[in-house]
Amino acid sequence: MLQLFRTQRMWHQHDLKDHYDVVIIGAGVHGLAAAYYLGKQGIKNVAVLDRGYLGGGNSGRNTAILRANYRTAEAIPFYDESLRLYQELSQEVDFNVLFSQIGHLTLAHTDTGVDGLRVRAEANALLGVNSRLVFPEEIKSLVPAMDVSKAAHAPIQAALYHPPGGIIRHDAVVWGYARGADRMGIEIHPHTEVHAIDTDNGQISAVHTNRGRIATNTVVNATSGWCSTIARMVDVDLPIVSHPLQACVTEPLKPFLDKVIVSATLHVYVNQTDRGEVVIGAEIDPYASYNSASTLPTLEMMAAHALELFPILEEARVLRQWSGICDMTPDFSPIISTVPEVRGFILNVGWGTYGFKAGPAGGKTVAELIVTNKTPTLIEPFALSRFYEDRLVGEKAAAAVSH
Amino acid sequence: MSTTRLPPHPAHVIDHEQTLTFSFAGERIQARAGDTIASALYAAGRRTFSRSFKYHRPRGLLCGAGQCPNCLMNVDGTPSVRACTEPVRQGMRVQPQNAWPSLRYDLLSIIDRFDWLLPIGFYYKTFIRPRFFWPLAEKFLRRAAGLGEINTQAKPKGGYDHEYRYTDITVVGGGPAGLTAAHEAANLGCQVTLIDDQPKLGGHLRFQTGTYDNIGEQSGLTGFALARSLRERVTSQPNIDVLSSATVFGGYEGGLLGVMQAKRLIHLRTQRVIIATGSHEYPAVFTNNDLPGVMLGSGVRRLLHLYGVQPGTRAVVVCHDDTGWTLADELLDSGIRVAAVVDSRYRLPDAPDSVEQLQRSGVEVLTSYAIQAARGTNHVEGALVVPLDAQRNPFPHASRFIPCDLICLSTDRTPTAALVAQSGGELVYDATLGQTLPQQLPPQVFCAGDVTGIHLLPATLVQGRLAGLRAAHSLRASETSASSHIQTLQHECEALEQEYRRHYEPYPQLGHAWTSKKQFVCVCEDITHKDLAQGVAEGFDEVETLKRYSTFSMGPCQGRMCATSSARICARYAGAELATRATTARPPVTPVPLGVLAGRKHQPEKHTPLHHRHIALGAEMMLLGSWKRPYAYTTPSEEHQAVRERVGIIDVSTLGKLEVKGKDAARLLDKVYTHTFSTLRVGRIRYGVMCDDSGIIIDDGTVSRLADDHFFLTTTTGNVEFVEQWLKWWMAGTDLCAHVTNMTGGLAAMNIAGPKARQVFSQLTDTDLSSEAFSYMACRRATVAGAPALLLRIGFVGETGWEIHVPAECGEQVWDAIMAAGAGFQIIPFGVGAQRILRLEKKHVIVGQDTDALSNPLEADMEWVVKFNKDDFIGKRGLQAIQERGPRHKLVGFALRDSGMAEGGQAVVVNGQPAGRVASAAFSPTAGKCVGLAWVPVEVASGTSPFQIRINGTDAQADVIDDAFYDPQGERLRS
Amino acid sequence: MSFLLACPNCGERSVYEFRSGGEFRQRPPASVSSHEWARYLYLRKNEAGETTEWWYHQLGCRSWFLAVRDTRTNLVKETYEHD
Repeated sequence: MLQLFRTQRMWHQHDLKDHYDVVIIGAGVHGLAAAYYLGKQGIKNVAVLDRGYLGGGNSGRNTAILRANYRTAEAIPFYDESLRLYQELSQEVDFNVLFSQIGHLTLAHTDTGVDGLRVRAEANALLGVNSRLVFPEEIKSLVPAMDVSKAAHAPIQAALYHPPGGIIRHDAVVWGYARGADRMGIEIHPHTEVHAIDTDNGQISAVHTNRGRIATNTVVNATSGWCSTIARMVDVDLPIVSHPLQACVTEPLKPFLDKVIVSATLHVYVNQTDRGEVVIGAEIDPYASYNSASTLPTLEMMAAHALELFPILEEARVLRQWSGICDMTPDFSPIISTVPEVRGFILNVGWGTYGFKAGPAGGKTVAELIVTNKTPTLIEPFALSRFYEDRLVGEKAAAAVSH
Repeated sequence: MSTTRLPPHPAHVIDHEQTLTFSFAGERIQARAGDTIASALYAAGRRTFSRSFKYHRPRGLLCGAGQCPNCLMNVDGTPSVRACTEPVRQGMRVQPQNAWPSLRYDLLSIIDRFDWLLPIGFYYKTFIRPRFFWPLAEKFLRRAAGLGEINTQAKPKGGYDHEYRYTDITVVGGGPAGLTAAHEAANLGCQVTLIDDQPKLGGHLRFQTGTYDNIGEQSGLTGFALARSLRERVTSQPNIDVLSSATVFGGYEGGLLGVMQAKRLIHLRTQRVIIATGSHEYPAVFTNNDLPGVMLGSGVRRLLHLYGVQPGTRAVVVCHDDTGWTLADELLDSGIRVAAVVDSRYRLPDAPDSVEQLQRSGVEVLTSYAIQAARGTNHVEGALVVPLDAQRNPFPHASRFIPCDLICLSTDRTPTAALVAQSGGELVYDATLGQTLPQQLPPQVFCAGDVTGIHLLPATLVQGRLAGLRAAHSLRASETSASSHIQTLQHECEALEQEYRRHYEPYPQLGHAWTSKKQFVCVCEDITHKDLAQGVAEGFDEVETLKRYSTFSMGPCQGRMCATSSARICARYAGAELATRATTARPPVTPVPLGVLAGRKHQPEKHTPLHHRHIALGAEMMLLGSWKRPYAYTTPSEEHQAVRERVGIIDVSTLGKLEVKGKDAARLLDKVYTHTFSTLRVGRIRYGVMCDDSGIIIDDGTVSRLADDHFFLTTTTGNVEFVEQWLKWWMAGTDLCAHVTNMTGGLAAMNIAGPKARQVFSQLTDTDLSSEAFSYMACRRATVAGAPALLLRIGFVGETGWEIHVPAECGEQVWDAIMAAGAGFQIIPFGVGAQRILRLEKKHVIVGQDTDALSNPLEADMEWVVKFNKDDFIGKRGLQAIQERGPRHKLVGFALRDSGMAEGGQAVVVNGQPAGRVASAAFSPTAGKCVGLAWVPVEVASGTSPFQIRINGTDAQADVIDDAFYDPQGERLRS
Repeated sequence: MSFLLACPNCGERSVYEFRSGGEFRQRPPASVSSHEWARYLYLRKNEAGETTEWWYHQLGCRSWFLAVRDTRTNLVKETYEHD
């Protein structure tokens, strides 16, 4: 409580040194979490670089939904670990990240949709994740404000209810990790853009930035929206296409909704924040782009679909719309791994629309990978090599809007 | 507090004769026609209009123009309506928000006393340990959140609409700059759309009663008279469309503007846009600057001149240029005492006459002074003013108290420039004017008026003409006369701008951080100067991070009142240069209701040509993709029995139907299907599966050869558009020559099936339907009940049957004929429910239900459709690789051992782990138990022992069944 | 998605009328190594800059064409039919 009245800098500014043991590109949740867990394991000569400001990429643009109720035996344990780390994060970094475990509902409007949810419910149950199928009567009691009537255009047939899911203050997660890393002596360098990466005999040797050259043997690509560009600096092509993803938020309303609602059929997700704003998100835009200008048709679509679920919101006003750039992989699963051709180059990319949920587990496993030089079991299924071995992860079947 | 209305004046927009009544918090309020809710309430003596978001402090009218959050109210159930722009309607019900029990006595205003407990970042620093503390605290905090209330019981009002328009030039803003620009552009023959958010054109001139000089012919006119003159000029031009009470809320790619006009959303595509959105004032930062009675100068003017409401009885005007002096004059003219004019300028440039004039009227003139605090408990009771030194720093000990009940702030203004940023321009801080101004405009964007930072009417009019000419000239370069004109105006404009800049002295930034007094920067979120200074000290030293930490600018005013102050304060404490680029100006520029964005409720669903028959028969309809299909007419089991024992008919019009015609039609099909079609004989049908290049199944269906160069394809429901694109894509840029035509909507299709199908169907056609003449997997053109038809002898449900394709308009006629012909055989229509059981008994796979985004034919029990011996086809390389590595799992038929029922999606369990899933399952009346299809590990598929399906938490035993459950040899099918 | 795209057959239209077919790639012959085949299947340039890509005019002439677009600005430099 005392810290409330003490002014302490969250993090400090530093001159860029000419050598770091590890250089992490991207000061979002993944980069900063990796730095934090590296520091915890004693590797502290680390620089986290970002071309913009801290958490200014997708870490600050996502809709901050957390859940672990994935479909496959590969993804479920990983996101479950991430959710567990999130539950302890406020205490871990001594900064309240405002995690509200209000519960998460994925809706099904068709028979096949219900079957798809049942696959997830059953796999979750077998792997110890709390999620179950619920039907309209129970959905109505969980979300009284939602239209669960048969009269709806696409009546809700069932939902996957995941009580531990919820929303978090995304910026606070970034700041919490940043402060934790800073306190261990790790340096965070905003406005430091990487222009080139040197290799020497297939081994990372240096990073060139707008603020000078850094010698290092280990580089982590923890960017989103730019991961293909960074990877190409060491001649690595990625199975990634970057798409914009848009969201919007309304004026604050008195509380009426305390669950996260996701509908793949309607391509929309809706939740209400602690401040009372209604956050509405869309599916990814249907073409590749790095342009994060918002568009009108997507805003209209979000509004129309949100109103299908919540007709009572017709007079709620949208205050802001925004977009982020999502790196989509062919199997809707991330790439966290080393790259055989370039030693010391570590990928933590391809986070599509599900990256924020995975921040702590992504950072922690990357740190473990660097420290032990061995791939942790949890991320074995997410290696880049899976695309050469025909071992794609089956999350694509659960995708579309997978928030 | 009572307020008097001023005597009628030509500038007023109210009708002094006509009164309206409405209720506010249950009390009757009288208004005059033309009043806004706020002007009527003000006239009725109301001074508190809302309670603030965090501290629940009383808030009064501030901007009077819908720019700030201070008068958000619930109007007839609609939350957060801006009362200062919402016209009064007879009988409307208005309720205050965020106050309990009332606006006057809000219990939560106690928070205001404990603000020291709520520093910036409060929540981040508290409720951390123990872990259960936060969820408890959050429940309470959540309840206190929000502003407006949504009535969850209310019925949607609807009435929204969308409209699409195209224009040459759009002028945004109907003030003097916009009116002039529109006029000039229209004169050059362009189609102009002029959009203004007020009910009447004229902008700020509408509430200016003073006269203007140096504006050419029209010098000497009062503001409102000039507004009328400019307005009339524009409305008489036929090539100007005026959209009043309409707001451009967003500038999007490709010259698309989002425009909201009441409940209508207009998509306006424009080739050029002239942004003449003006500027708005925002409050200076000083102690208690949020107290009711502190009002922006333009708000005071609006009350005075538009609504004839006396804004106070004794005013202090705070200013940094002549605007304040004119305002003082206008207040005096309206019979309001002006205690003092507080001008921050060190030296007054001119007009000593007006000083004397004011002094004669009893006004104290304080130059080189600024305001330090507003005093009062629930309303302004006086102003504390402080002299400034030559460096613009205050002498705090020399401050003076001036009693008053109104403080008018003509201190800071900022261009309303979000649209500039959204249209591709940049907003760059201009140190001389202390504003963030448009720069680097893209070639299709022009700016004029206050939005350029120059708040001077003669300059505005020249800028307007210039922008209009330039925009028109860029579209019509042939108008050569324009170019010399442009040059002259350009010089004139620059001279005026330079003159303005030379005399401009921004209002000093005084607030200081380490005071316990509240100096508000962001009134939406109750963020004070101290909060921001503290945030910077904690390391949030860039505007973007400070914004996220403090939440300034994230409230209903979208940063209008705070963006510039916050940026300045951030720069001041960060010791940095002011960020040159403003924070992202995200659309919408003004809050837009979801209903307006969504438009008319429009959820297209597809109906088959037989839809009305199903409705008449009382079928239970279901949604499949975007199609409505009958699920059942009676019950699936009853219908199943009828098909197996007698005859049934099902509407299969939703199947995708494509014609592929041309010399390379067969080659194309050989390329995209895994099967071979060049060897198919004319008049025969073959089943086909399409894969992508990795070998994943993307569609399946039947292919009928109607002629050497002519094929008829069916695709899965809802996938025809994709298949059409897929076929065309693999032809694009190759030498393949074929036409692909989507026939889906043009054909009705039905399937008649069952042991009596032939007897029924033969009554309707001359075609020989015998097995010898029309064998299984044959196709033929025929006439059915007078309609030209294509008959396919196939059997998805496993009985003798024909798929009948007829022109959509003949669908009902053929359906009726079949029903009539079948009456003697007790024919029944059957739906998707029965069809699912029937096909499962035959182990027929439904692509998209039994397969998913990673299924391939080798593992989906369809090895026989993959012809590795033919030349390259799409998916061959991928399937070869799968064949080499061997299958990892398989789609198998299964039957449950016991009486249980499995459902799609249940897990196949091996050693307690999920190892597969049930794809489809149903109770088979034929087998007398639950049968289905399931994905299982390859060891299970090839093994002889039963496997386990987890059903409601316990494991049920299932056996792999290789053959179909019904008629495994297909004898009935072929008979 | 509101930028404009010029269909070679129909002229400039809102991109809303089109479907994106992704970046243009050459399909390698079936004889390439499985490593090369996997690269063709999954790897993309994902260029932040000018890229040549497929578009299909779904609400128009229903045919495929190629467009050169800058993915940072969405400005379309040229469109043409594949020959």
